[in-house]
Amino acid sequence: MRSMTTQPTVIGIALGLVLTAALPASAHHAFGAEFDPNRPVLLKGAVTKVEWVNPHAWIHIAVDKEDGTREVWMVEAGTPNTLLRRGFTKDSLKPGTVITVDGYQSKDRSNRANGRDMTFPDGTKLFMGSSGTGAPKDGKDPTEPKKPKQ
Amino acid sequence: MPGRMPTLLALALLTLAIRSPAAGQETPSKTWTVPRTPDGHPDLSGNYDTATLTPLERPARFGDKLFLTAEEAAAIENEELTLSEELARPSDPEREAPPVGGDGSPGPYGNVGGYNFFWIDRGTEVFELDGRRRTSILVDPKNGQLPPFTPEAAKRAAARRALYKENAGENTGEAWWLDIEGPGPYDDPEQRPLGERCLLGFGSTSGPPSLPVLYNNLKRIVQTRDYVVILVEMVHDVRIIPLNREHAPKEIRKWMGDSVGHWEGDTLVVDTTNFGKTPALFSASENLHVVERFTRVAEDTILYRFTVEDETVWTEPWSGEYPWVATDEPLYEYACHEGNYSFGGILRGARLLEAEAAEKRK
Repeated sequence: MRSMTTQPTVIGIALGLVLTAALPASAHHAFGAEFDPNRPVLLKGAVTKVEWVNPHAWIHIAVDKEDGTREVWMVEAGTPNTLLRRGFTKDSLKPGTVITVDGYQSKDRSNRANGRDMTFPDGTKLFMGSSGTGAPKDGKDPTEPKKPKQ
Repeated sequence: MPGRMPTLLALALLTLAIRSPAAGQETPSKTWTVPRTPDGHPDLSGNYDTATLTPLERPARFGDKLFLTAEEAAAIENEELTLSEELARPSDPEREAPPVGGDGSPGPYGNVGGYNFFWIDRGTEVFELDGRRRTSILVDPKNGQLPPFTPEAAKRAAARRALYKENAGENTGEAWWLDIEGPGPYDDPEQRPLGERCLLGFGSTSGPPSLPVLYNNLKRIVQTRDYVVILVEMVHDVRIIPLNREHAPKEIRKWMGDSVGHWEGDTLVVDTTNFGKTPALFSASENLHVVERFTRVAEDTILYRFTVEDETVWTEPWSGEYPWVATDEPLYEYACHEGNYSFGGILRGARLLEAEAAEKRK
């Protein structure tokens, strides 16, 4: 059983490396400057607020701890402009929606983490058309979200 | 019969004439004429998407080859599509937190990874000019690689790499900089990269020269008789380019340099000098000199060409070109400073790690 549960994690890490290896060596900020490799987190909780702002969107979630208390975490994401062009807005992720996030806590030890992988509890990615391919939107897929009115 | 051959020939020629504009994007067709402003110059105004899968520097496997075959282009585009499909697949719902000590992510992903691929928008195609797809934006040097650094620039680059380890993948979560001579990388907010500080977009997206980056590759050009303005979506950088003027005095230095433009025939030529100490272009110095050429070559395309000179950094000038493709997409607000929580977090994090290290050493 153990190997069955660890296998997808290994694949996930490999894909993460494929992704990062394929990207240019430039970004708004160095994630390594902000987040602590010694403090990995797995967060599950309901969305309380979406800050649809640049340079990074921040998604707030309420996480129930084992001791029965609840704390709010802020999860750092990418630029909202990309998703606006694909028809998603801050209202696409409603408060109360439960999500799962894995990432690393910020070095300042506040309740912040990078949204290394943000999914719904069943593992499907946020902000995907219902066909879930993530393929470039060409209008051929009737399940693609509609563009906002301009 | 004698009359039939010329008819066939005419038909064949007509077919060729109809087909060639589609194959030769920036060769103006006989039917298309460039729209002009009331003062008679080509109208460059509009919104443009500059994203492309063609990189600045040519992948080594293509050597001196500037053009891609259809198969090579399809392979690059399929690779991107496959990657985006792979990364869109569901994750394990029972997954655990990533590994302690870091996930090994390289570069700016600094051993902790970034965020999901659906935030990225770097285009879906390699670019095409004159009907031929390109291996690189760089056209000179002919090998498609940036020229070597001068010895002094190489020394500066090595010192920068050593100081900004976290920007280059090495991230241990410790205040290692307490053990080095001189200032550390987090001592002063003004030491941090311009992108991190929301002063300019990263990766020379503002330019000059303007280069494609991971996302937000849209530009808007507004043109009058006396000025051309380029609004860059990323960080809301705005270049205001007066036409037919002298440069500002040398002591006046600007983040994006001092740009002046003039028309050479139907091409807008923009000359930029007077940069500050850290231009948007990686490794460049205040001695940077950039010449850009904007030519509207089709209804939906501006051919953007540029030459970069900085003899204190590169051993020879270098040049590149790629299309800016018209789009009906709007540009969105950026307001980078308002949401830049990362920057405070980075500096607070450094202070906290330093305090912890000091405590341990007591």
